[in-house]
Amino acid sequence: MNADVLEIKTEQLLKTKKRSQLFDVWLRLKKSKAAIAGLLLIGIFIFMAILAPVLVSYEDDALKMNVRVRLQTPGSDHWFGTDELGRDIFARIVYGTRISLFVGIISVSIALTLGGTLGAIAGYYGGKIDNIIMRFLDVLLAVPAVLLAITIVAALGASMLNLMIAVGVSNIPGFARVVRAAVLSVKDQEFIEAAKAIGAKDHTIILRHVLPNSMAPIIVFATLKVATAIMATASLSFLGLGIQPPTPEWGSMLAGGRSYIRDHMYIVLYPGMAIVLTVLSLNLIGDGLRDALDPKLK
Amino acid sequence: MYHFLIKFIAVIKYEQIGGTVLKYIIRRLLLLLPVMLGVIFLVFFIISLTPGNVASMILGDGATDERIVELREEMGLNDPLIIQYGRYMGSLLRGDMGVSYADGRSVAGEIGQRFPNTFKLTITAIILSVLISIPIGVISATKQYSIFDNLGMILALIGISMPSFWIGLILIIAFSLNLGWFPSGGMSGVMSLILPAFTLAIASTASITRTTRSSMLEVIRQDYINTAKAKGVSKNKVITKHALRNALIPAITVIGLEFGVLLGGAVLTETVFSWPGIGRLMVQSIQRKDTPMVLGCIIVFTLSFSIVNLLIDILYAYLDPRIKENYK
Amino acid sequence: MRNKVLEIKNLKIRYVTDDGIVEAVNGIDMLIEKGRTLGLVGETGAGKTTTAMSILRLIPDPPGEIISGDIILDNIKLLEISENEMETIRGRLVSMIFQDPMTALNPSICVGEQISEAISIHQDVTKEGAKEKAREMLEIVGIPGSRMEEYPHQFSGGMKQRVIIAIALSCSPKLLIADEPTTALDVTIQAQVLELMKELKEKLEMSMLMITHDLGVVAEVCDDVAIMYAGRIVEQGNLEEIFKYTKHPYTEGLFNSIPNIDDRKAELIPIRGLMSDPYNLPDGCSFCDRCDYALDICQTEKPKKIYFSGTHFSECHLYSGNSDFQLNCGKK
Repeated sequence: MNADVLEIKTEQLLKTKKRSQLFDVWLRLKKSKAAIAGLLLIGIFIFMAILAPVLVSYEDDALKMNVRVRLQTPGSDHWFGTDELGRDIFARIVYGTRISLFVGIISVSIALTLGGTLGAIAGYYGGKIDNIIMRFLDVLLAVPAVLLAITIVAALGASMLNLMIAVGVSNIPGFARVVRAAVLSVKDQEFIEAAKAIGAKDHTIILRHVLPNSMAPIIVFATLKVATAIMATASLSFLGLGIQPPTPEWGSMLAGGRSYIRDHMYIVLYPGMAIVLTVLSLNLIGDGLRDALDPKLK
Repeated sequence: MYHFLIKFIAVIKYEQIGGTVLKYIIRRLLLLLPVMLGVIFLVFFIISLTPGNVASMILGDGATDERIVELREEMGLNDPLIIQYGRYMGSLLRGDMGVSYADGRSVAGEIGQRFPNTFKLTITAIILSVLISIPIGVISATKQYSIFDNLGMILALIGISMPSFWIGLILIIAFSLNLGWFPSGGMSGVMSLILPAFTLAIASTASITRTTRSSMLEVIRQDYINTAKAKGVSKNKVITKHALRNALIPAITVIGLEFGVLLGGAVLTETVFSWPGIGRLMVQSIQRKDTPMVLGCIIVFTLSFSIVNLLIDILYAYLDPRIKENYK
Repeated sequence: MRNKVLEIKNLKIRYVTDDGIVEAVNGIDMLIEKGRTLGLVGETGAGKTTTAMSILRLIPDPPGEIISGDIILDNIKLLEISENEMETIRGRLVSMIFQDPMTALNPSICVGEQISEAISIHQDVTKEGAKEKAREMLEIVGIPGSRMEEYPHQFSGGMKQRVIIAIALSCSPKLLIADEPTTALDVTIQAQVLELMKELKEKLEMSMLMITHDLGVVAEVCDDVAIMYAGRIVEQGNLEEIFKYTKHPYTEGLFNSIPNIDDRKAELIPIRGLMSDPYNLPDGCSFCDRCDYALDICQTEKPKKIYFSGTHFSECHLYSGNSDFQLNCGKK
């Protein structure tokens, strides 16, 4: 009975402690104007992605070609103008938000899962396993990330799934290193020793004790990597190696509009701005989070 | 490239630490070898995943089945991957990267012709980045929270958030189509180099500026900076002599990593500016499903990246006496 | 005639931070004569290092600012000269040894160069001359000249501190400021380094400001002692006056909290409580919350200096009506 009470009390204590920690982070994050601007900005994009069908019609505005209204300059009918096939650029940007955020988040999740697992194993077990994993990562790291992604897409063929795999795999080494470092920094602390002492299994220790306590750098890194992944998605699509037309994707919109920039610069201006603002907002949040999670760095 | 290496060694010898650094270089080179073997295998493996029958593609629609089987056998495509890899490595060491599926030309020859163009572009870009970013990073750190610093950091953040191909398009619209100062593409003398080099340089400039600033900020809080000030070293000299060298140590690591980003960016920049380098060649070859050419391009890119990182490591040893010490 | 090397008058320094204003130094006076060593004693956060850094004018600004006061070194009013002039004074007239030798040397410059740099800044010598002089300095502090080309990471902590001493003394300054020079060292090395400093001080006829929280070090090397608490000097006098005729309850507290070699069974009596919040110093005496002798007046009014001899004073209300008051050594 006594032990039960103690356990409940400890749990409550831990919960309040956790909440107040999160709250502290939020308070510090709130102080940074840049981070708030980033949050607002990404909020707008998320809002656009969710409400896309309410804002515009996918079939009629974003996909249907209409040669009669091709290359219209921005105005009240078409806020951002129309492209070379008469499609509304605003509508395509709105639907492009869905794709960019989706691909960005999924590919980072792939990298986080695979890279994170490798990193956690390497960091937790150390020794020979660590050595083998790290040498493998050295090999992956020796190929610049975008080039690795291009190579993978080149081999597998251009599609959204392959794009996500390519961007995800090219980010594995980064995540593995960050998770490994995070695990190394907590693995020798007493509470891990304590968990081992009461006979917890390795995977329980890693998932329940090590990772939750090494989340801060991982969260920051993941935020920044979603930004990079969105950029990589646009880059590959621009090269014709990512999302294929007519699906509205920012990078492929730029590729399509390239030939018309002499007289219709808005064709490349607005989709590019969408990329810059999304990536910028994530970078602002990432920087803000880093400062908020690790106040001593400031 | 070798020219630089020789110069480096000469400089280092002059400093009379040649022996230790040479040992260090040799060790780094030895460490590089297995990584390179692994990388080429990895790339070889990825490329081998390409679906479709290469032989029938080469022979075209009119080919008979027997001819296809024959060609597959001839090309060794039926052998296990590891044998194919061994064969490829064997010829690679002799400088032979096979022939293009598209036009039968030598891959090594084609790449050899294009590589200097990519080299020119990336080296100009990295030099531009370093020349711009290090002074800005240093000034930003010494005047932390000033207008210069705040503005610089906002611009740097925007800089890392802009995709290079978009910057390229905007620069073309502004300086080529509207102002007519520079050609919008192709390679024709110095003028045609300026826009692509700037395009390529922006992201790494922004990122090196941020690193230089933060490592500089860390260094100027160190005790030895106070020691230097306390012995009467002037403000400027404290920065240039005592702080900069130590701040550069982490900064050059980032410069090395940025070079990888830069090579990736080169693929895009070359495409935007129709620059006849191996980046554009690679994209064209992917579209033509010219596997040997793609493989050749990626291997050359990766090799360049590794060599640059080797040079960075040497520079590292030159700047940080603690590294040299380990190889005495 | 007395030869004043350093005189500080009514110095006030504060730090303006996001969380508020820290009043680090609140009107202190200090005098160091030629050839003498003043020990500045107090716990962490009392304002000792801030005082020292202000003499070199190296208080980081922002957030630090010197609000008022005078610092006169060798008849030069330091707070009135330009930064360029100040650069010619640092290292030549006054130099400083910092607390942690592990971090006080530049890791990427060889030690010989770090010593000769100071020499070539302040003296009219050739590069070779400076190098030669640096080698001499290195040998004076007990390191073979052959180690000139070595880097800081090749030296042990005690050796590094010797190098730092060599840098500080390379231009024979009139005043050497030593900020806890032995705190970060092993006990056995501490004695060697102190001995070396004492010896060199005598040889070069320097004055010294020794910052420490270790009264043992004070007894070893100092002629005069100033006890600092919350940005004020609460008691000052010569060695004998402070050690034998302790007047301020805080000074007494410091003595009571160090082990006594003669009476090993004696109980240590710590000073209770913590130093007052530097963001929010009390109106009265800053020590009164921790003081066993506190009077009502201590809460409301700042104590003034009361002199017991030409050199010995204390800032404490206990003596304002009755200069013969005796502390009772912590016995209640």
